[in-house]
Amino acid sequence: MKRRDFLKQTSFASGMFFVPQFLKAFEQQLPKTFSHKKVVIIQLKGGNDGLNTVVPFRNDIYHQQRKNIALKENELLKITDEVGLHKSLKSLQNLYDKGFVSIINNVGYPNPNLSHFRSTDIWQTASDSNEYLQSGWVGRYLDFTKENPLKAIEVDESLSLLLKGKTQNGLAVTDAKTLYNSLREPFFKNVINHNLDAHLSEHNLGYLYNTLIDAKSSAKYIFEKTKTKSAANNYPKNLFGKQLKTISQFINSGLETQVYYAGLTGFDTHANQPNTQARLLQTYAESMEIFVEDLQKNNHFDDVLILTFSEFGRRVKQNESQGTDHGAANNVFVIGKNLKKQGLYNNLPNLSDLDANGNLKYKIDFREIYATILDKWLQVNDKAILNKSFSKLRFV
Amino acid sequence: MKLVHIQHLYNRIGFGITPKEMARLSKKSKQQIVDEIFSSSEKITPLKIDTSFLKDIQPKDLKDQDKKRALQKINREKVNDFSVAWFYRILNPTAIFREKMTLFWANHFVCESRNNVLFIQNYNNVLRENAFGNFSDFTKKISKEAAMLGYLNNKQNRKKSPNENFARELMELFTLGQGNYTETDIKEAARAFTGYNHNFRGKFVMRKYHHDKNEKTFFGKTGNFTGDDIIDIILEKEQCARFISEKIYRYFVNENINKNHIDQMVAVFYKEYNIEKLMRFVLLSNWFYDDENIWTKIKSPIEFLAGIYTVVPFNFKKPKQILLIQKLLGQVLMRPPNVAGWQTGKNWIDSNTLVRRLRLPSILLNNTAITYSDTGDEEAMVNDLKSKKLKRKGYIKTTVDWNSFEKNYKKESNNKLISLLLTNKILSGTKELLLKNANIPKKDFCIQLMSIPEYQLC
Repeated sequence: MKRRDFLKQTSFASGMFFVPQFLKAFEQQLPKTFSHKKVVIIQLKGGNDGLNTVVPFRNDIYHQQRKNIALKENELLKITDEVGLHKSLKSLQNLYDKGFVSIINNVGYPNPNLSHFRSTDIWQTASDSNEYLQSGWVGRYLDFTKENPLKAIEVDESLSLLLKGKTQNGLAVTDAKTLYNSLREPFFKNVINHNLDAHLSEHNLGYLYNTLIDAKSSAKYIFEKTKTKSAANNYPKNLFGKQLKTISQFINSGLETQVYYAGLTGFDTHANQPNTQARLLQTYAESMEIFVEDLQKNNHFDDVLILTFSEFGRRVKQNESQGTDHGAANNVFVIGKNLKKQGLYNNLPNLSDLDANGNLKYKIDFREIYATILDKWLQVNDKAILNKSFSKLRFV
Repeated sequence: MKLVHIQHLYNRIGFGITPKEMARLSKKSKQQIVDEIFSSSEKITPLKIDTSFLKDIQPKDLKDQDKKRALQKINREKVNDFSVAWFYRILNPTAIFREKMTLFWANHFVCESRNNVLFIQNYNNVLRENAFGNFSDFTKKISKEAAMLGYLNNKQNRKKSPNENFARELMELFTLGQGNYTETDIKEAARAFTGYNHNFRGKFVMRKYHHDKNEKTFFGKTGNFTGDDIIDIILEKEQCARFISEKIYRYFVNENINKNHIDQMVAVFYKEYNIEKLMRFVLLSNWFYDDENIWTKIKSPIEFLAGIYTVVPFNFKKPKQILLIQKLLGQVLMRPPNVAGWQTGKNWIDSNTLVRRLRLPSILLNNTAITYSDTGDEEAMVNDLKSKKLKRKGYIKTTVDWNSFEKNYKKESNNKLISLLLTNKILSGTKELLLKNANIPKKDFCIQLMSIPEYQLC
């Protein structure tokens, strides 16, 4: 018998075909013991200007420091007597009014690094600012829980450090069907079957084979699980909208994935900030509102927590080109159904107490947010994943 | 020189080698071969496309919004044309090592300009002209290129309110690397670069009213520094020679740094920042040919495509499809993801890109259909895409020069083809599979060889 045929037959014999029906039924009712909670992480890439997003419009310093780009009271969606959201965030305000949003201010870390890349790495790896880690915190979540790549998906063409662990990586998938179809060719099947039991530790070559094997099995699972489920059709017709639509389709199909990651890019506004930021924030907010509605309609919103961050905020003082330079602490949005603390989680930044570079000082370490999500939401040992102990917050 | 070493050398300084060339070089010594590589790359042939549409354009034309938009549209198309031209230059280089170095520098002094083809063409040729030159002159020239002045906002850098973007990336990405400077250094350096600008035709000008003439204190030195002074002071630090050496090592030798080798490179490079001398030293060193450095690097998408082309030349019937293929593999020439450039090595590979790479030889050489979701770009991300479908299926139309393949490889058996295209370090299961099919037509066998994970390495 050829090895390939043998494999095919034995996998039939030992596979799901002979699992008794009562076990299968049991499997479908498992969720109570295993955490079926999900986290959707959104990065506003390029460093979103948090001060012009959640705006302290009664603060004189704000207006003095930002002569051309400060937003006036009538350009804002007021959420308190002193705080307004950028007017492009109407859709987010709708969620806010329903109690689905918690805005955490002054989030950062000691000795902030103002480089996009390094700062993104710091946020993705959860490292100290002088520490260089090769794995992301979601990747280490996969390592720690010994989960397969399917548990974390980045809806993008390639995989970020965030989802790369020491022993396990998440998956990058833009479209399950495309991936599945590409892998159906018999030649790949043969290459994989011929090497299933091979020693695959050899540095780069092992990585290539493991990626291929993971891709093959995951693509099949995702494709078959999601092929009948479609998402709402009113997402913004751009790539961020498409990403959110894909995530909603995945969640609503009951995929076992627990962490999703997507990003909206273009926030590096050194010049002519107002128009660019307005457009981007609108795309962000509209996508979020439709996403939440879509999840609600399918009864999944209770299980989903959405975290939005940016690698840093921008400097308090604007520059001469109607833009802002790289800054430090920033606000973070948490969106979810049963938040313990809705609305503004804490006070807005103190604009008269800046660091030596004229940047906002942080009050909450971003890793406290991760620790909270890992501990209270995903119910795993946050310390083992973050390598350190952080105090927990009260938003979930 | 040993065949496998010639193969290795040509994988790294170029994109592979034909059996005929290999046979010719096998009679020569390492020194002779390296000398030949440098002498054949001595000549600089700037890459130019037709930009005559810009000839009569005057600054006042940009005040007219319609004219401005129309001009932008042509420029964007021309930037794509330039990208295609660059790709064909890489496939058919006369100065092969110079083109490989140009590609390397494009991912070092990373820059993008979509709205002015002239600026980006000039910038690209500065990379080519200085590929083996003096790193100090090179950095100074780059700092004055119109494309770079725009990309990192240095032309918006004014005395009254400095824009720090260029100063920061200069140190972080171009010369010293993270952690080797302070925020104060960035602020002071930014002041020295104030007033940098260019005229309408892209020529550098110093706007002296915007330049901060006061004293700056940078890395412990105080003076009325200009941008060039700042670059000189940075290069006085050995760390700069180390940073560049490490980057070259990762690209040409091994992604894992060997400190001893780097120390040797720094000793050569720091003396006068002569890039050619550094590269000669690397290619002539014994460790360059160590087993652990051979066939261990994951090819970049461009290396992968050009490598296939070296074995089987192909032509795209629709040139724009070159850009589509590059996009699907994760590296579009002229369109870096950000100022840090493309992350290389394992970062090229994930479930998506790997599967596309494995299918690509069939797609290019066998006219197989390819399905893809539109990856878009920053521009598309924020613009409305209502009219465009985000998922497509299409045929990549190519003409394949199998004659050239037959001519080059007619003497070689399928079995021999394995060692000509790959290393012997093939996974045993895969090798077994290949040998089982060893009697299929040579063309098909070649496509199969290029479709296995091993072919992703060089």
